[in-house]
Amino acid sequence: MKQISIISGKGGTGKTTITSSFIKLAGDQVSVDCDVDAANLHIMLSPVIKESNDFIGGEAARVTGECIQCGKCEEACRFMAISDSETDIKIDPIKCEGCGVCEEICPVDAIELFSEKQGTYYISETKYGPMVHAKLDPGSENSGLIVSRIREIAEDIAVNNNKKAILIDGAPGIGCPVISSLNGVDYALIVTEPTLSGISDFKKAHELTKFFNIETFACINKSDINEKNSRIISDYCRDNDLTLLGKIPYDEMVPEALSRKQFIVDNPKSPAAKKIIEFWDKLKKILYS
Amino acid sequence: MWGINTGQAQVTEREAGDKLKISIASGKGGTGKTSVAVGIARSIEYCQFLDYDVEAPNASIFLKPDIKNVEKVTMRQPYFLTETGADFSKCVEFCRYNAVAYVRGKVVFFPELCHGCGGCLLVGPPGAVKERDIEVGKIIRGRASPGIDFIMGDLNPGSLRTVTVQAKLDEYIDEKQTVIIDCPPGTSCPMVASVKNSDFCILVTEPTPFGLNDLEISAEVLRKLGIPHGVIINRDGIGDDSVERFCDKNNIKILEKIPNDINIAKAYSDGITMPEYNKKWIKRFMAVIDLIEKENK
Repeated sequence: MKQISIISGKGGTGKTTITSSFIKLAGDQVSVDCDVDAANLHIMLSPVIKESNDFIGGEAARVTGECIQCGKCEEACRFMAISDSETDIKIDPIKCEGCGVCEEICPVDAIELFSEKQGTYYISETKYGPMVHAKLDPGSENSGLIVSRIREIAEDIAVNNNKKAILIDGAPGIGCPVISSLNGVDYALIVTEPTLSGISDFKKAHELTKFFNIETFACINKSDINEKNSRIISDYCRDNDLTLLGKIPYDEMVPEALSRKQFIVDNPKSPAAKKIIEFWDKLKKILYS
Repeated sequence: MWGINTGQAQVTEREAGDKLKISIASGKGGTGKTSVAVGIARSIEYCQFLDYDVEAPNASIFLKPDIKNVEKVTMRQPYFLTETGADFSKCVEFCRYNAVAYVRGKVVFFPELCHGCGGCLLVGPPGAVKERDIEVGKIIRGRASPGIDFIMGDLNPGSLRTVTVQAKLDEYIDEKQTVIIDCPPGTSCPMVASVKNSDFCILVTEPTPFGLNDLEISAEVLRKLGIPHGVIINRDGIGDDSVERFCDKNNIKILEKIPNDINIAKAYSDGITMPEYNKKWIKRFMAVIDLIEKENK
């Protein structure tokens, strides 16, 4: 069983658009949406939820006892989550990372850590096989932990059902949820676009996959919007041992199809669909070999 | 006072101490946050611009600041003097991030999991746990034309410390200027850390089922945080009117609609801001600022 994570660095380059088409073409995989704070894959796959579970994330500190206003916790907190500890102690739940240092250091045991529900994760069935996805509660942290959790579930499902591959729709950026979506995968695909922003973020995403030593593919979406930038990306791929699957031309049909929640490959003759089918044929050989 | 050149010699003045901090966010990535943020900055000309999208900072591509200062952002990270033969089991027990473990009787540290809380130093064997500074990113500062005080955070690939870099940016916020904050996508901690200091948040979305889904979540975050907000619809003309219906129903003001125009996309691809592409955007972005000021009174 092989796993591939589709990431981009920059948001909105077409990760979910491409991943959903791969899922439709694949047929024998488990799908995972690791963009847990702005999940979109379900919009395309219309999953039927079979099981939904609360995700209890990391902890956060709360004042529960009689505070003597000694100021020790404020001084010890590395995340600047505690303020006014010499008058009226305040713990900022946004800044608190639940490390437990304040609880440990408090001389009168006035602080305790609590864990809270931070989201919900779902095990679902779609027309295109099992799907594991999640919804982080708005404003929550620990998106990395919930990503790790849904990936473990996807691995169990894949092993128990003899699935050949896991297709992972990643999050934008290069931070916690992206790192968790790359941890232990066999391959990564970076979807980029020929804009200066796209190139900058593409390179950062590639640095990340290099850091984790993951064999990486790339593809350029809306490649003809800027041919010069497209060439910069293909040259970069050539010079950095990155396999460029190819270029998807700008295709008016794409936003229209997406607005109607249709897969790009539902119109197999459109220029974008032809390319995505071609990419999947290449990836299929590698994933299913 | 900030002078505004709308191209029609219209000047708005604000009293000192009355400056707005405006964040530009979106749930979904790639909807045009940075385009709007740099477009507004270029239109108001004199402001402070902070790029809080430290995992994928792009505003510098458009504002082309003259970089004057690069500063490392570091975190404290422990190392364990194993040769002392000390017992580190208390550290292993304490660490909530599983960054320290005993593997076959040896203490093993996983730096990528460490949050740098200092707990192991606190509970560990005295003198046997030390700390050093590890670089997690950079703060880059400079001046962008004509009067933009530019500051960006840049996370090192491989580091999880997005919020450490963002917390460093917080220290630079200048209350005396109008502040424009370019936020990361999403609705979790890095987004919250970026919008929390602002008086008003512009949510940029696109009129598609994806844009709507993510708008609903981000509007809920802002509602919970109590931050006033409005919407700019980008790529207007594609998709349907579900975003407009959502805004109507929830009493969220639509501040502007940017048409779906391949030429704007092409200009963007070369790092050209909308006011540079077409001067009419100066006036339109200034109108957005006026609306926000009215909303914020």
